[in-house]
Amino acid sequence: MTAFFLRRALWLVLTLWIVFTVSFFLMRSVPGGPFSQERELEPQIAELIQERYRLDDPLWQQYLRELTAALRGDLGYSYRKPDFSNAEIISQGLPVSASLGIVALAFAVLLGLPAGIISAVRRGTLVDAGLMLAATVGIALPNFIIASVLIILLVFLIPVFPAGGWGSLNQLILPAFCLGAPYAAFIARLTRTGMLDVLSQDYIRTAYAKGLADRVVILRHALRLAMVPVVSFLGPAIAGILTGSLVIEQIFAIPGLGAHFVEAALMSDYTLAMAVVLLYTVLLYTMNFVVDLSYSLIDPRVRLE
Amino acid sequence: MRRYLGYAIVIACLGMMGWAVSFGTLPPADFTFSNGDEIKTIDPAISTGQPEGRIIWALFEGLCRWHPETLEPIPGVAERWEVSEDKCTYTFFLRPEARWSDDTPVTAHDFHYSLRRFLHPATAAEYGKELWYVKNARRFTTRDVSVGDPVEIELHQQPEDALPFAEGIVLRGTLVNVDDHGDDRPIFTVEIDGRTQRFQRTDEGSTDDGVTACRMLTYDFDHVGIRAIDRQTLEIRLNHPVPYFVQLMGFYPFSPVNRRCVETHGYPGWTRPENLVSNGAFRLKFRRVRDRIRLVKSPTYWNRDQVQLETIDALAVKSTTTMLNLYMTGKVDWITSVPTEVVTDLMERDDFKPSPYLALYYYLINTQRPPLDDPRVRRALAMAVDRDEIVERVTRSGQVPAYSLVPEEISKYVDYTPPAFGGFDPDEARRLMAEAGYPDGRGCPRIEVLYNTHESHKAIAEVVQAQWKRHLGVDVTLNNQEWGAYLTSRRQGRYMIARAGWIGDYIDPNTFLDLFTSDNPQNQSGWSHDEYDRLMKAAQVEPDNQRRMELFHAAEVILLDELPMIPFYVYVSQSMVRPWVTGFYHNIQDVHPLWAIGIDESLREKLRPGSRGLRIEEARR
Repeated sequence: MTAFFLRRALWLVLTLWIVFTVSFFLMRSVPGGPFSQERELEPQIAELIQERYRLDDPLWQQYLRELTAALRGDLGYSYRKPDFSNAEIISQGLPVSASLGIVALAFAVLLGLPAGIISAVRRGTLVDAGLMLAATVGIALPNFIIASVLIILLVFLIPVFPAGGWGSLNQLILPAFCLGAPYAAFIARLTRTGMLDVLSQDYIRTAYAKGLADRVVILRHALRLAMVPVVSFLGPAIAGILTGSLVIEQIFAIPGLGAHFVEAALMSDYTLAMAVVLLYTVLLYTMNFVVDLSYSLIDPRVRLE
Repeated sequence: MRRYLGYAIVIACLGMMGWAVSFGTLPPADFTFSNGDEIKTIDPAISTGQPEGRIIWALFEGLCRWHPETLEPIPGVAERWEVSEDKCTYTFFLRPEARWSDDTPVTAHDFHYSLRRFLHPATAAEYGKELWYVKNARRFTTRDVSVGDPVEIELHQQPEDALPFAEGIVLRGTLVNVDDHGDDRPIFTVEIDGRTQRFQRTDEGSTDDGVTACRMLTYDFDHVGIRAIDRQTLEIRLNHPVPYFVQLMGFYPFSPVNRRCVETHGYPGWTRPENLVSNGAFRLKFRRVRDRIRLVKSPTYWNRDQVQLETIDALAVKSTTTMLNLYMTGKVDWITSVPTEVVTDLMERDDFKPSPYLALYYYLINTQRPPLDDPRVRRALAMAVDRDEIVERVTRSGQVPAYSLVPEEISKYVDYTPPAFGGFDPDEARRLMAEAGYPDGRGCPRIEVLYNTHESHKAIAEVVQAQWKRHLGVDVTLNNQEWGAYLTSRRQGRYMIARAGWIGDYIDPNTFLDLFTSDNPQNQSGWSHDEYDRLMKAAQVEPDNQRRMELFHAAEVILLDELPMIPFYVYVSQSMVRPWVTGFYHNIQDVHPLWAIGIDESLREKLRPGSRGLRIEEARR
């Protein structure tokens, strides 16, 4: 068990280092830099700016400097928002994204799981077909379309929710739903497949043979194992959902982390892009680790090596 | 144990849900507007961009302010100013009642400090060049020193009683020798009080035999034309007359900063709401990245009685559709742009009044590439562009077709009417092409138009492509590149024709005409014209205003004859603002200072949907 933890921790460090190195050189190989803009600077001033931000040093020196800083846990200052350190930008954005993500996940699980169970149990009926159609639509429709339709419906036609912004509960519902909807659809499909698979197994037949009620067989015995594919999906999904979504954040004007991923990369904001990439790596790795742990909880046959 | 773990997970999930849906309360502001994208900084010296300007102009006040309607300079911290006979020396007289937010007076020394900080090489101000009109300022910023010059040396060590982020000890002397021994960090020999000392610029405080390490060595700021005569008098000496200099001093990058605040906290610490000391009409309450900046009225501002708003929220909203949604649902009172798709619908509304401003959309031509090295071809291309079609079919919000580099609207503010190159004339364009050897486009190499990836640039480029094909028979390919790549291609001259835009920094033809002088880094057209450069140089130092404008006019005539660029249209501001907002004027620089803005409460009561006033109206019906 301890060896398992240690090995995973070691791999995390190695992964982070590789991600750091690849990102560092990839970002700098792209034309332009954090200070390119249409207004050309006087060459002398451009030089001074390079000097101020120490971008005039040889690349390997910059690499070593930033690597040592990162090792100390110092993520530096954003080039494009230099009033803030990257740690501050993340500490302001992450709670927002997390809060939105948790509610979105709640929507996803609370809608997806029952839908999946019901369609598996009622396999081949109209209910099954209806739910799976809805799930397919949910996966196929990009969430900006769901968002646009919901905004027209619930903001303008029947004004229940505000158009956007952040700071109150009713500003959270709509974006969380839009963010969660595709995940709900995925979960529904995975649950259905998992359930169908489990329901045909011998131990379920045994459970029925013992005379247990449908409800008990399904919820206590079948669901548990049917959850394995769902949990495998949820691990990386949580990492993604917690770090925000560019589209939803832009549509609803939400100050989450998602936009930083895309904008920092497009604007060559090297340090901020690096910070969010490292954050995502850690989250993704951790979630996958948690998923592996949870297998042993869900499925008694699994042992941690 | 597993059972307990199950419960623990359930409780953890509920706890997280509880945390996720709990919010503090924030009372709404008196006035909320969308400020576009998240701003880069509130440090005036290193700021650029309109969203930054709106905030900095609210937090700080420069020597003068701009009148919200006419943009004339009106007294700010300086209550009046004088210009010398030769128009090269400006004396600003500061008002004694001007206060910082820590209730200390704003003095001429503060401006001396702030302008020095602005020009300092370590600050690397992007707008730095705009202050190089000041005597020797350029040499101070660029560290351009030669033997015999007065220099100042900043050591790594700090004076004993200095604040944590203050400058190091500064020595002043005369440069007697520069030994660059093949290194990019030469050794300077400086005579200080009759003794010579050797200095080398280093990152750390190390010294080796006989050479003192220093942080900075540059032209002595005491010899730069900025001088605080006393607490209330600031004198600025210029290299040559600059008619818009007073207006320039009201530009937000030249706002004063508080020395004590900056030296105590350093950058970026001093820009934090809890540390910031500012002198404008508003103070910084808090700042949340990509969410909002809250400003509150400053009780120490000298003109506080005229400031109407108590609190302001500046929202960082990037998407124009979201801005419009927020505006339509009454969450914001002013949005700075609108989605192009709905412009035609919005044009019918009273609260949407697009008005031209000092910015030009144009195509830059690489005059080194055949066939574009032939002025006749450039002229033909320019004449074959039907700008009316572009502004009526593509941009559709009242943009004004442009036939000159300097937007014609400038004539309402200064005594300058730009010449025009002739306009849309397909017959003449065809004739020119034939004359250049490409009748009906035969034999003409394929022309490539480069633009940065964006829907609107693409739409315009496609129209131009069709027009050039139709009128000249020229084949045009379109090439879009991501922002960084596009800028690099432009800089390296790897393009034939490139989309470009320019927003005037101040109301003077120079801000546009200067773009095409030979030594301007912005001039990426490869075009260089001696007479043009001569006229521009002469205009810059010309004290007589009318003569100056004539020189500019002559220069622009040359430019429009040679056409290293093709003007398309003058941008329009796209503000949408509630009818009950007062003090908001559509002006040529799209500048709307927040200190001038107020709310007409009675009108708001009457107009606001669902408000009591309206309900009474409905009840009567």
